[in-house]
Amino acid sequence: MTMLHLDRVSKAYGKRPVLQDLSLSVAAGEIYGLLGPNGAGKTTTLNILCNLLKADRGTIRINDQPVSERTKLLIGVAPQETLIYRYLTCQENLQFFANLYGLRGRSLPSRLQTCLAAVGLSDRATSLAETLSGGMQRRLSLAIALIHQPKLLILDEPTTGLDLEARFEMWELIRQLQRDGITILLTTHLLDEAERLCDRIGLLKQGQLIAAGSLAELRQLIPAQEIVLVQTTQEEQAIARATELNYPHHRYGNDLAFWLPAPLELKEILAQFDGIPLDSIARQPVRLEHIYLEVMRSG
Amino acid sequence: MKYWTETIAIARRILTELLRRKRSLIFWAIFPIAVLILNGLIFAERSKTALPEPLTLGQALQRAAPATLVGAALFFSCLGGSVATVVSEREQHTLKRLFLSPLSGVSYFLGIGLAHSAIAVGQTLLVGLTAYGLGARFQGSIGLAAIVILLSILSYVGVGFILGTQLARRTEDVNTLVAAFGVPLLILGGAFVPAFIFPKVLLDLAQYNPIFHMNEALTKIVDEGNGLAEIGAHFWFLVVFAIAMIAAGWLSYRRMLQVERRL
Repeated sequence: MTMLHLDRVSKAYGKRPVLQDLSLSVAAGEIYGLLGPNGAGKTTTLNILCNLLKADRGTIRINDQPVSERTKLLIGVAPQETLIYRYLTCQENLQFFANLYGLRGRSLPSRLQTCLAAVGLSDRATSLAETLSGGMQRRLSLAIALIHQPKLLILDEPTTGLDLEARFEMWELIRQLQRDGITILLTTHLLDEAERLCDRIGLLKQGQLIAAGSLAELRQLIPAQEIVLVQTTQEEQAIARATELNYPHHRYGNDLAFWLPAPLELKEILAQFDGIPLDSIARQPVRLEHIYLEVMRSG
Repeated sequence: MKYWTETIAIARRILTELLRRKRSLIFWAIFPIAVLILNGLIFAERSKTALPEPLTLGQALQRAAPATLVGAALFFSCLGGSVATVVSEREQHTLKRLFLSPLSGVSYFLGIGLAHSAIAVGQTLLVGLTAYGLGARFQGSIGLAAIVILLSILSYVGVGFILGTQLARRTEDVNTLVAAFGVPLLILGGAFVPAFIFPKVLLDLAQYNPIFHMNEALTKIVDEGNGLAEIGAHFWFLVVFAIAMIAAGWLSYRRMLQVERRL
């Protein structure tokens, strides 16, 4: 079953196109990552899904309903900024938003407790939001997004600005939400995060979806099964040798990278570069960052 | 029901946040009481030379209470408070989160109005009971006085929305706005200096100042026991002004929504 479906959605600000015939589908229960550089159209896409902006063309359906004020009840959004009321307690923040979603009555207290427990804040229910750590505030923001039991959860940069420990906690929380059956659309600049969490990934560039699929499917987009990173004072020699071997080369920061069409043992690689002084050499599997850079460069 | 629930939720949130900041709450109470007592003492002292029979402190407070209420108390709580609420929501970006929910614009507008009306009722009781406790004895129709106070609240909240949505973008702007627009209007409205000592040119100018009409209407009701017939000019000015400000506040708010409705 498809939870979210965009079909040839376009949007322009004045004469500047921001989304161009964007089509994508997110299946129920999956985590879909929307990636792209700044200005690619991610935030515009989210604004359209949340009915804060109207698309110029195309159709958007959430749980088979066209986007409208009513579909706001199907969506939970945790924005990039932690938008909570600092002088309210965790419980009061949740209750306030629950009321806005029309939740009240006897079932409300248990719903508040369930949400707080889901994000691990049960013991901080009566703490003022301003006294929480950054990671806890982000979790409270997530609890607010979950208060009305949405079918689709939109997470905009869910771990940006969090320390490593809080980031791991948030990742585990997102996985747990998926196990609970919630469909998740997330945007992130952290490719590591997308790689760890997402079932499928869409790469957005200048308002167009230039690649989409699972990590395994995306790996097929570049002619490499392994990346070798080398540091050497004789780069020209190393590149010449790689060219002889039909290994494409790229530069990632200070590292010179060769794309190997098939994995090799380290001793085989060293033999191939025999006679060239190597300061360091490292083998890496093909990762999302390699795919992303290549697709964005050529796409 | 949806609008009611949402309006109550917005009002309750604003009041809960205010109650949480106890120090601010205490200052909000100290300010009108201090102005009331100072105005009362000045009136009592001036009456010794200006009137054939000097006013007692109770009579002076009875005269000072209306100006203190609409000038010092309601102005800062309803106008300043509405501006601060809107600006703080914009500054902290919590407004964006509200747009993500099904909250209607009407409920948000009404919720802010309701919260500040509740604060205003509290301040009215505070000023009224303090003056009463010190000997003031109010006259006139309580209902008519309540309507004038309500019109004052609506006017202030409407102006608060206009300033908060159109002119102030940061919390610091609130003080400069209130100082630039508010304090001259308060003085010209007779909140701190009684209007009867104004030079003619200022008195003519004051006829266009809503605070002057709030002040005059309420003073004539509670101090002199006048009815609608005697305060008609002030009353109808206030009715028109309150309606105009609520309408303009609503339009300003709608305009802000168009700009701010983005993640």
